[in-house]
Amino acid sequence: MAPQLRLNAVAFVSPQNHPILIRTFEQPRQDELKYHYIAHTSLDVIDERIQAATASKSTDCYLGLLYVEDVAVYGYMTPLKVKIIIALELSDSIVRDADVVAIFKALHTAYRRSVANPFLRLNVPTENVTDHSILVSAGNSRWQAFRKRVDEIGRASYGFVPSPLFLVTSKIQ
Amino acid sequence: MASRKMLDDPALDARLTFIRRQSGLDPRAALFVLSPVTSAEIGDFVRSLQEALYEPAIEYYTNHSKRVRRKRNRHSQANVSYQLPLTTIGSTSAQRPLRPEGWTVRYEYKMACFAEFRGEDDIALKHYHDAYSALHIMLGSTAILPPRTKRWAEAKVLADCISVKICKLYLYNNEHAMALAHHSSHMRLFSDLSRGWGIGEETFEFWSWLARQHRVFAELLEQGTRSTLKIPTHLPSPGVASQTQETQRGSLEVEAMRALGLNPTQALQHPGFYYYMAARCTENRRDRYLRALENESSHHASPGFVNERKVDHLSIVLELYTRAYELFKKYSTSSSQSQGRLTLWIAYLIAQTYYESGKFEMAVRFFERIAKTYRREQWDALLRPLLSTWYRCAQHLGDMELSVQLLLEIIGHGPQDDQDDPESLEEDLLAVLKSTVPSSDQVLTVDLTESGPLLDTSAVFWKSHVNVDQAAAFQITLTAPEIISLASLPFTSLLVQFSGDLPSITVQHTAPESDADVSSLQKIDLGDLSTSSSDNEDKDKDIKANLRWRPGDTLILCGNLTSSVPSNMTVSKLVLTLKEGNWNIDLPLHPNSRRSGTIPYPRWLGSLSPVRFIPVHRDNYSFVVVRHRPHVVKVSLSSEGPAYLGEEFPIVIDVTNADDRELDIVVDILLQPTEIEEADNFISVDEERSSSLIKGVEFGVLPPGVNMNKTLYLACSGAVGDRVIDISVQSRSMASVSPTTPVTPQSPSQVADTGETLRTLVVPTVDPITATHHVTYRRSTKPSPGLGDLDTFEGDYWDDAGEAHVVTTMTSVGPSGIFVEGLKLLREDGTYAKVNESTVDQDEDEFLTEWHTGDEFCDQCRISLARLDEPLGGGYIPGPGTYEVSWRRLLPNNQKGSLAKTRFSLPPLKPPSDGLIALLNVPNTAKLHQTIPLQLTIRNGHPTKSANIILQLEPDAVTDGFVVAGIRNGRLPILLPGGEEIIKWNLIPIECGWVKVPKIKVMNRRPPPPSAHGQAHDVEGEGEIVEVVDVRWDGRPEQSVRTSVDVARKSVEVPKVEMHPSDAAQFAAVVLVLP
Repeated sequence: MAPQLRLNAVAFVSPQNHPILIRTFEQPRQDELKYHYIAHTSLDVIDERIQAATASKSTDCYLGLLYVEDVAVYGYMTPLKVKIIIALELSDSIVRDADVVAIFKALHTAYRRSVANPFLRLNVPTENVTDHSILVSAGNSRWQAFRKRVDEIGRASYGFVPSPLFLVTSKIQ
Repeated sequence: MASRKMLDDPALDARLTFIRRQSGLDPRAALFVLSPVTSAEIGDFVRSLQEALYEPAIEYYTNHSKRVRRKRNRHSQANVSYQLPLTTIGSTSAQRPLRPEGWTVRYEYKMACFAEFRGEDDIALKHYHDAYSALHIMLGSTAILPPRTKRWAEAKVLADCISVKICKLYLYNNEHAMALAHHSSHMRLFSDLSRGWGIGEETFEFWSWLARQHRVFAELLEQGTRSTLKIPTHLPSPGVASQTQETQRGSLEVEAMRALGLNPTQALQHPGFYYYMAARCTENRRDRYLRALENESSHHASPGFVNERKVDHLSIVLELYTRAYELFKKYSTSSSQSQGRLTLWIAYLIAQTYYESGKFEMAVRFFERIAKTYRREQWDALLRPLLSTWYRCAQHLGDMELSVQLLLEIIGHGPQDDQDDPESLEEDLLAVLKSTVPSSDQVLTVDLTESGPLLDTSAVFWKSHVNVDQAAAFQITLTAPEIISLASLPFTSLLVQFSGDLPSITVQHTAPESDADVSSLQKIDLGDLSTSSSDNEDKDKDIKANLRWRPGDTLILCGNLTSSVPSNMTVSKLVLTLKEGNWNIDLPLHPNSRRSGTIPYPRWLGSLSPVRFIPVHRDNYSFVVVRHRPHVVKVSLSSEGPAYLGEEFPIVIDVTNADDRELDIVVDILLQPTEIEEADNFISVDEERSSSLIKGVEFGVLPPGVNMNKTLYLACSGAVGDRVIDISVQSRSMASVSPTTPVTPQSPSQVADTGETLRTLVVPTVDPITATHHVTYRRSTKPSPGLGDLDTFEGDYWDDAGEAHVVTTMTSVGPSGIFVEGLKLLREDGTYAKVNESTVDQDEDEFLTEWHTGDEFCDQCRISLARLDEPLGGGYIPGPGTYEVSWRRLLPNNQKGSLAKTRFSLPPLKPPSDGLIALLNVPNTAKLHQTIPLQLTIRNGHPTKSANIILQLEPDAVTDGFVVAGIRNGRLPILLPGGEEIIKWNLIPIECGWVKVPKIKVMNRRPPPPSAHGQAHDVEGEGEIVEVVDVRWDGRPEQSVRTSVDVARKSVEVPKVEMHPSDAAQFAAVVLVLP
């Protein structure tokens, strides 16, 4: 059983709940705004999940299925509280958590690599290293690499069966 | 009939029988009469009714089921034969009989119903499923059920009903996933069918049906949750990896499958979601309907369309959304502190619906609330459609102020991705401004600081700190965004406000003379601004600038700020004023704000041509701290060399006011606590003394250039080491005590103009004099008293046990000399030791002089020791006296310091003890041929052993210079422990010069102790040789090994006699024989 997870949209949200980057991969491209709303409303469920996780002292980044509309929305929070939300197309089959986690890991890596870009901090006052606006600006259209990386993962989910191995190697190139 | 008294009526039975007969009731069947019961008892009554009826009811329905099953079986057997003819007949006649499939559905449904009545849910579910699938087959074929006939419509409704039943039964069983799966598969199957029936996704019928399905499901869930249904939570299973092991066990396969993941289509959510879905479907329905309305001509005949026309879609949508909203609110755990984003989203949809239905005021109220959160979280993408709908509402309402405000905010957010051209919004705004008048003459303030600002602003100061009255250069940069045009907005002035008392400045708009002059970068000098210039504020600076921004244009305002009081200076506010017709709009701007998503990027315009910016790498670039000028106070500390222990060491603190202001100087002095043992230090200034801190030593007000000094005394005792003193010189400007400048109320609280100069002084502390002792012990020559001597019992009897000679050498080691004013030996005679005499007592004046570094002074002292009654604890007798040296430090200018005293106590004593010993006593000199006595005292000091002494005088025939009269060879009586024997000889010298006394050998004839030493002497076979000591040269160091280096060997005047047992035999005393 290798269900093909079709990634419809990806959203990165900063710890202060500001949007960093929202990409949609649905073909044909339509209703991008819908995914903005989905990302924003998912934050509620994420908050809930975080509360539950802190109560149970769980340190898992993966927050699981958040809710189902006409897409299935999954959430993930990096250790530095950047939230990653993906919308998967609904298909009547079991979605294995491991597959979803693999996608999230790939997205997380893409984000990490992009934030590590030293030029993000060019011209920024040096003391300002913890300012989250730098993280938010990683999703700015000036920084193409991040978009490219995310789009690549999105395309991968459309074109191929996402095996974790593939996703990892595709980023290493 | 149902009254109390009727119960006793004799006619009752007859009457009941009559009723039974009339109603055709079985005599066994129960007849219930509602007796008059109170409301409290009604429950019991109902329960008893139920108990009575339950069994028969079950039986009844079982019978029914059996009957139906028989019928069905009969029917299915007949099926084959009847099928063909029925089909042919059915196709022609309108009122045709039911087909075999139809019968199956009918029977299955009946059986399901009866099973449900019996409470057998599993069986009911199975039969419903069968009915449902049979129905699905029927509906699947247009041949069996032609669409849009009455029976088709009935079948469709029946299928929906059965589907709901199935869902409900699943939920009874708590099988959420199955219920939801059925619900969605029902919708999927019938969506497919609908397409075949020509009521596919493009028709309002389809969406109406889908909305109904969602709604029914939602209502079902809502009902369920009111009783016992629990909505599951879809938390991820903890640790995906750990769960894989469980799958290998393979025991709980279903569990494991769930652990690995779940099918999102089977994750049941709370009913709000389904209401929400229903509402979305209804919106689609309306959409399709409106589309159908456009090409009405083709449709108007259809009865469905006529029906649809009566439907108020929007109110249905609104109702569904409202219910969803309530449920979302109910289920959101993210409590009161912020409105949930999910509910906001629903609220947004509600507002949209209000807008659609023309209730603009309601919509506006919703928008206001929603926009707050979206603004705060900077979700511009969500905000833009909201603002534009809001704006349209405002237009409909005719609220021009709100329209203008919203338009400005939309401009602030920039255009939506691509559909607007950058100038359209600006044109819209201008059109509104030109065509309308404001509702009041008041200035309209549009505060966009929370949302996106119109212009990117940054206020940068070049320095982070300046002194009072020193200018701080600043630049305020206002940059227009590149994606939207503001060029035609008629800004008339820009007000710049600063913090504190700084005057604000207004920049007026002036149009450039020609377009060619306009560069994309303008720099306007605002000049120098200061708090003190507030009096001539009315002096119109008349600053003009071009306040029109084309995309990407930048206006830089620069100038200098000066403050006469310490404060933080910053640009507090920028206000752009826009005037058009009667409109007068103020746009406050935050001095440092950027559009969302961009990083503040402070930079300083370095040069205008070519344009060059310097990035400002400082965190607090947006304000400047004004401080008082630091005070110039010189502090010098002077002291002479290291301090001596015991003295009061002077340290001169010299404070000079090198500033141009009068300064009030106060000094705090802290002596740091030391870790040196037994250190007892203190400091004193003036009359104050403290062992740690002296606070507030007043130096008074020093005019510029004046210096003043005070002497601090440090007294140390204890051990040598460094003492640390912290000196804090605090200065306070006298000008700030009585401020000459009037303090305006809004100025910050006066900061005292103070300064502090810190000094730390490390004072090494040394001993001025060190003393070393050398001790030798002499044995007593007095005969020991007999055991029974009565004198020994007298209180003041001194049981003499020899003497200790102490040689004390005092060395002046300090780097500067001292003047000794007194040297005394303070006697502290003890039980076992007393000072007999000391050389210090004799010629005092001779040594009361200046002692310089390296000078030494020596004193000898004789201490008489008493016999120890018992061994001392620790083995030492405390020194019976203390030397006290009174001295003053010699200061460089021939002065003398304060009187200090240094004490050294005599060393503790530990006289060696003897075992068996022979003391030889002989005069130093003799005259030729005159008899001298030779006396040998043999003392048995051993506590327990007696001694058997053999004595042997060995005259040497060759070298002997004496004639000896006395015992030559003999044995003494046994010497008991503590006993003493004196043997005397007379010697007549017969030679002159240094003549050796004849050798005397004393042996103890006892078996030697089995020690290594004893073995060595055993060779002689006679016994142990007893040591013979010449009392004239008697002197022994302490018994225990004293490793102290202070034994100054050179100063020992007594010849050192090193006694070694092996030397004892060879020992020979010498007498000087004079002629």
